[in-house]
Amino acid sequence: MKKINVLGLITFFVLILVNLPFLVIVPSSFTAAGYLAFPPEGFSLQWYSMILERPEFIESLWTSLKLAAITAILATFLGTLAAFALSKYKFRGSGVINALMLSPLTVPSLIIGISALLFFTRIGIAGTFTGLLLAHILISIPYVVRLVLTGLSTFDYTLEKAGYMLGAHPLRVFWDITLPLLRPAIVSGMIFSFLTSFDNVTVSLFLVAPDTTTLPLAIFTYMQETLDPLVASISAVVILLSLVFIVLLEKVYGLERLFGLNSQSH
Amino acid sequence: MNKRLSITLLTAPAMIVLLGVFILPMLLMLMLSFQDDNQAFTLKNYALFIQDSFYLEILWRTIRVSLWTVLATLLLGFPVAMYMAQASGKMRGIVTMFILAPHLISVVIRNFGWVVVLGEKGWINETLMKLGLIEQPLRLLYNELGVVIGLTDSFIAYMVLALATSMYAIDPSLSKAASILGASRARTFFTVTLPLTLPGIIAGTTLVFSLSMSAFVTPALMGGTSVKVMPVIAYEQIMATLNWPLGAALAFLLLGSTILLVTLYTKLIETKRYKEVFAS
Repeated sequence: MKKINVLGLITFFVLILVNLPFLVIVPSSFTAAGYLAFPPEGFSLQWYSMILERPEFIESLWTSLKLAAITAILATFLGTLAAFALSKYKFRGSGVINALMLSPLTVPSLIIGISALLFFTRIGIAGTFTGLLLAHILISIPYVVRLVLTGLSTFDYTLEKAGYMLGAHPLRVFWDITLPLLRPAIVSGMIFSFLTSFDNVTVSLFLVAPDTTTLPLAIFTYMQETLDPLVASISAVVILLSLVFIVLLEKVYGLERLFGLNSQSH
Repeated sequence: MNKRLSITLLTAPAMIVLLGVFILPMLLMLMLSFQDDNQAFTLKNYALFIQDSFYLEILWRTIRVSLWTVLATLLLGFPVAMYMAQASGKMRGIVTMFILAPHLISVVIRNFGWVVVLGEKGWINETLMKLGLIEQPLRLLYNELGVVIGLTDSFIAYMVLALATSMYAIDPSLSKAASILGASRARTFFTVTLPLTLPGIIAGTTLVFSLSMSAFVTPALMGGTSVKVMPVIAYEQIMATLNWPLGAALAFLLLGSTILLVTLYTKLIETKRYKEVFAS
């Protein structure tokens, strides 16, 4: 019993540690003072109204949301189609295609960012929203493929067969049987793609122009010059937005399952 | 529908993105790293790395910071994974949630939180000054310590996941058997738990090491200009100096040395294990 308590105490300490940044940022954002401090002094919403006076943050938030939403939809669409082919058909080269689909995960973002910059400069889309979008879709595809493949591995194909035998059109079978059964995997792939794009810095870093800057990059750039409570209030907004999606992800799929931790295997 | 046609139609869209935005650009980058100003073949971008001790020092600093991060995540992550393996399903879920959720929020924001805590006028320094324990603020940021703290926070989730996965698979009756046979807690830990967790330790340490080697954001924000690591140098060559061939070569050298070190490490551990097995 004593052993568990010691371990529990260390675990509690580590949990506080990894959540400390948020526990510090949110209170600091309500400071009445003109400088960054923790614990904050007084209470005020001044640093939130300051956000509205900084067009670069509003614009980059808009860019980030738009980028993450389109990335999520397209990456989920492309990834789901590929996962279907890989799961349903046994064919020569499927191993290679599978490995290729997951390969962006094994290469550092730094190299993905640099290589995309070099190539996009050649074809003239460096610094454009399209270039940024393509790179974000690329880094999201592996997650979607993995999630949907996992979903399909337990998929009962006899249900589809039953649909056909009862005379349903293939599209109807897909829409009424296949899709609803895979919904958790597909929806969580979509949310995860959204977060992957919304959080990304290292790939975006090489691909943005001043008018296509994303929010994390705008904060990154601002932080290197000035450290004031404005960073705290913007960060608090991002934390809140991310939390909404994290809670959704937990409800739809479960974080434990998402990260491959299967608690039932014990 | 024809099977071949279905497969092509289903995989083609994703394959086009992968080939066009990933494979082709990587090949281009590799070619560029072997080019000089006149686009002729050269090895000088790679040779510079061996000739100029500046780059070797930076590589060594990157490795050092990564090793400290591996050590910190292992020491902090091991008890957490052990706790998770022993805890009830509900408690396990809560711990998992609070370890993983921060991981889904941008690293820029997490680093900013650490700046507020560790800065010269940060929480820790202000508190210690107020208590009269120190007179000068401690330097916790913009040095290697700051980078290691930031990286540990970023990657501890990976270590805990790797360790917990292998610990979940250990049959709890083994520890029970050991203690019934009279082994002390320490002995049970070193002869039962630790060896059985080895695959998780190898997976966790290699993963955290590789991630730390290529981390850019945390060294840039928490190391400042004084802790330049390989990714930061490569970034500067690409975006500031505009020496793309050198920047590309540096990025590949970083990837190459990471793969080399990880391979050596796993080989070393495997041979050691074989020797142990055959010696006994």
